[in-house]
Amino acid sequence: MKKIVKRGQVSRREFMRLSALAGAGAFVAACGGAGPAAPAEEAPAAAAPAEAPAADAPAAAPSTYNEAPMLADLVSAGSLPPVDERLPSTPMVMPVAEMTGSYGGTFRRGFKGVSDRWGPTKMQDRGMAWYDQDLNMQPRIAESWEINEDASSWTFHMREGMKWSDGTPFTTESIQWWYDNELKNETLTPAPSSSWTTGADATLMELEVADDYTFTLKFSDPNPLFIYKVGRLTNALYEPGHYMAQFHMDLTDDQAALEAASKEAGFESWDQYYTDRNNWYLNPEKPSVGPWLAKNELSNELFLMERNPYFFAVDADGNQLPYVDNVEHRLFETPDVFNLWIINGEIDFQNRHVGLDSFTLFKENEEQGDYQVMIGSSAGHVAIQMNLTTKNEPLREFFNNRDVRVALSLAVDREAMNELIYDGLLTPRQYSPLSKSPQFYEKLSNAYIEYDVDQANSLLDGAGYERGADGIRVFPGTSDPVSFVIEGTDQPGTQGEQAVLQVIKYYEDVGVKASYKGFERSLYEEHWGANEIEAAWWGGDRTVLPIVAPWIFLGTMIDRPWADAWGKWRNSGDSDPNAEEPPADHWIRDIWAVWDQIEVEPDSDKRNELFTQILDIWAEELPMVGYLGESPALIIVKNGVHNYLPGFPIDDTTGDEHLLNTETYFWESA
Amino acid sequence: MAIFILRRVLYMIPTLIVISFLSFVIIQAPPGDFLTSYAAQLRAQGDEVDEARLEALRVRYGLGEPFYKQYWKWISGILLRNDWGQSMEWQKPVKDLIWERLALTAALSLSSLFVSWFIAIPIGVYSATHQYSWLDYLMTFFSFVGLGTPGFLLALIIMYLAQSQLGMNVGGLFSNEYMLAPWSLAKFVDMLKHIWIPMVILAFGSTAGNIRITRANLLDELNKPYVETARAKGLRENRLIWKYPVRVALNPFFSTVGWSLASLISGTTLVALVLSLQTTGPMLLRALTSQDMYLAGSFILLLSTLTVVGTLISDIALAIADPRIRVN
Repeated sequence: MKKIVKRGQVSRREFMRLSALAGAGAFVAACGGAGPAAPAEEAPAAAAPAEAPAADAPAAAPSTYNEAPMLADLVSAGSLPPVDERLPSTPMVMPVAEMTGSYGGTFRRGFKGVSDRWGPTKMQDRGMAWYDQDLNMQPRIAESWEINEDASSWTFHMREGMKWSDGTPFTTESIQWWYDNELKNETLTPAPSSSWTTGADATLMELEVADDYTFTLKFSDPNPLFIYKVGRLTNALYEPGHYMAQFHMDLTDDQAALEAASKEAGFESWDQYYTDRNNWYLNPEKPSVGPWLAKNELSNELFLMERNPYFFAVDADGNQLPYVDNVEHRLFETPDVFNLWIINGEIDFQNRHVGLDSFTLFKENEEQGDYQVMIGSSAGHVAIQMNLTTKNEPLREFFNNRDVRVALSLAVDREAMNELIYDGLLTPRQYSPLSKSPQFYEKLSNAYIEYDVDQANSLLDGAGYERGADGIRVFPGTSDPVSFVIEGTDQPGTQGEQAVLQVIKYYEDVGVKASYKGFERSLYEEHWGANEIEAAWWGGDRTVLPIVAPWIFLGTMIDRPWADAWGKWRNSGDSDPNAEEPPADHWIRDIWAVWDQIEVEPDSDKRNELFTQILDIWAEELPMVGYLGESPALIIVKNGVHNYLPGFPIDDTTGDEHLLNTETYFWESA
Repeated sequence: MAIFILRRVLYMIPTLIVISFLSFVIIQAPPGDFLTSYAAQLRAQGDEVDEARLEALRVRYGLGEPFYKQYWKWISGILLRNDWGQSMEWQKPVKDLIWERLALTAALSLSSLFVSWFIAIPIGVYSATHQYSWLDYLMTFFSFVGLGTPGFLLALIIMYLAQSQLGMNVGGLFSNEYMLAPWSLAKFVDMLKHIWIPMVILAFGSTAGNIRITRANLLDELNKPYVETARAKGLRENRLIWKYPVRVALNPFFSTVGWSLASLISGTTLVALVLSLQTTGPMLLRALTSQDMYLAGSFILLLSTLTVVGTLISDIALAIADPRIRVN
């Protein structure tokens, strides 16, 4: 077995040394020795965790770790074990972006209902690993991991002595329970998520448990990108079996009672009831390992979260995290109320739902609301998808002509559009990885982004689309004007709609007619589902770590339908009636061939190198034409809240504003 | 009278059956179903959406079943077991969701309804009896402004002023500390601090309309011969106006009570949205956009039932208030 030492593990070790807590290296710790953070006199406790030391050690013994005052009160009242027993023997040492924080306070945030659960879940769902500031994966719940030669077998080492929020040990039993009773149960999981399968026939992974703290996941095919799939976990990979068993028909002591309980709760079958009870935000009683615990249900007008006394991470000074005691999410219906809350200083830390179009409003009221508008970079792009597989034959030929796509890129004055609609806040560029991304590739970002009407006209002339009498180009050999419909969901008055109208004006300058139709979302979905879209205005995101979320670049994310029917073919073969096989020598096949290599390439440098090949094809072909990107994302940060820094990417893949570990954000005490 | 009511109740049954069927058809009419909108939402969030998984969920929710089966499942649940189905978006039984919000909605709508008529009737009567006086012009001016101002705009303005000038915490009906607290005097007082904004806004628009209606109807009546006769017989003017023509002029009040019942649920939607009130309107709207069909269907069924029942109540009230109306 080949051990891959992660770059971050070195820096983590260094980190621990600097903080004067260091001892043995991280790997030694993983093998079950005394934790590097545990001083000598505490060694027996680390070697034999669980309750034993609690009885022996007098209460006055100095503890290794510090805890929040509200927990210290509970400990001295005797209703909670001391902090050293609640933490694993080698807690995760979470890096802080600015400084060691202080305990206490509440973060007030806004949300839009149960369907908008991502605000709370992104700060709560903790997985095996998470990103560092350079976007490399570092251990989180896992203490370390190893992979074999072809990355088809992943061995994880867990933290000894880590506990669920009810104090029950968190061991490989939690993994095994999930694997046996949830993943492999066909009632609960009729179709396993692609995170747990590999290969064309979606073979399920195998779980092997070595001991209480070591388990291995074996895949039928190489799976080098697996670690990215376990960064943020919701009801997956681990489950509190000791609690959930009561809702499981095969494991419950009293099947009739469970049947009655699920009927009582309004469900038709036990699996629906199980699924409902399995969500921490709908069932506050379910034990968790996240930094906070739900105090009520998300369907309330005010959703409350309170610190998890058993959270497994500390800062470099040994203070148990999180710093902040409580998190509140308050329900709103329209942005107007939310914006008023912001300028009134009632939102403490939030990016979600903070709209760029109200930037001026937020800036004007910074002082009055006692907050600061931080600027991160959003993954979104202003871009058009011309459906290369549209059912309109002459139009398909038009879009498939590379010169046409280049011409429509050159025909737009990106600088002017940026100033006119976005106050100059965006950057002219193609749809491509952000400059902060490890996959950033200037050749693609800057491909054909200059404003050159003459060049655009001569490309279109050269392609055989002559101008007709009214100045609009016609399809060769006919008098039919070149004209197409751009569909999207941007409604009148939004920046997105203004931008597409502006683009249409520029197209007209080079003799191409287009019109925009804004649809209700479900109709738009229906259209791309049937390959009935000529062109789409849906922008493009997933540009922070495209290697983890490459689907737009591959054309397989069909709601960005630049190759609707081909993408369907790649996704589901001929089983989809609208799927179509791309021509044998088409460049989209080259993109897919490179991706097939990336997917099984264990070496990350080689992966990036291969991905560059895909970006080269993009720079040459412009499968979808991008106009503006690097859009600022706004984060409202109340004065006095620290440890979040501006300039970081705001993208779903990297957890939005929670990238830098929300556990470490804190209120400066007055 | 009893036969009249009985007959009307019997008519209601086929009406409601047709309505329930139609509303289910309409909810199913837009392309896709709850899962397509759910999948779109997941995609927008960056989650990967597995087709196989969606298919499994579709089976679980019974979305793939033929239309008549889904309808039967829903309507038989309501009629036989008082089971209104499960809201897919909220993951809660529909009946809990609706009743939770109904009390608040009804309180808000009813209070603004009565406030509005309480103000509108005296003003309308004054305007009609003092037609073309300067006070009539003033009232007319205000009622036109009231009619012409959309409620949501007024909501935005009042909300902004309340926040910037009074430093109030706006949105919703409670402050954070009372939102989850059980009912108490303090919570009630807190609610009164917030509820005046939606009440003023809701009452403003309808008061204006009601003043115009009362004034116009009363003007029609004032020139009728029976008023002349009463006056000639020496009846005091005040007693005369309030006892006879005003009573007739109030017919619209009774005949619209039926509609008000339905607007208890949906009438305040726009204002409630802007103000983030946890009433039924925003929930209905959201259920419709996310194609949460059992929730939306139950709302529409409830609305139609209330309208049908309301119409009956109107008719009865009218028959009592206006002796000229014959039951047959």
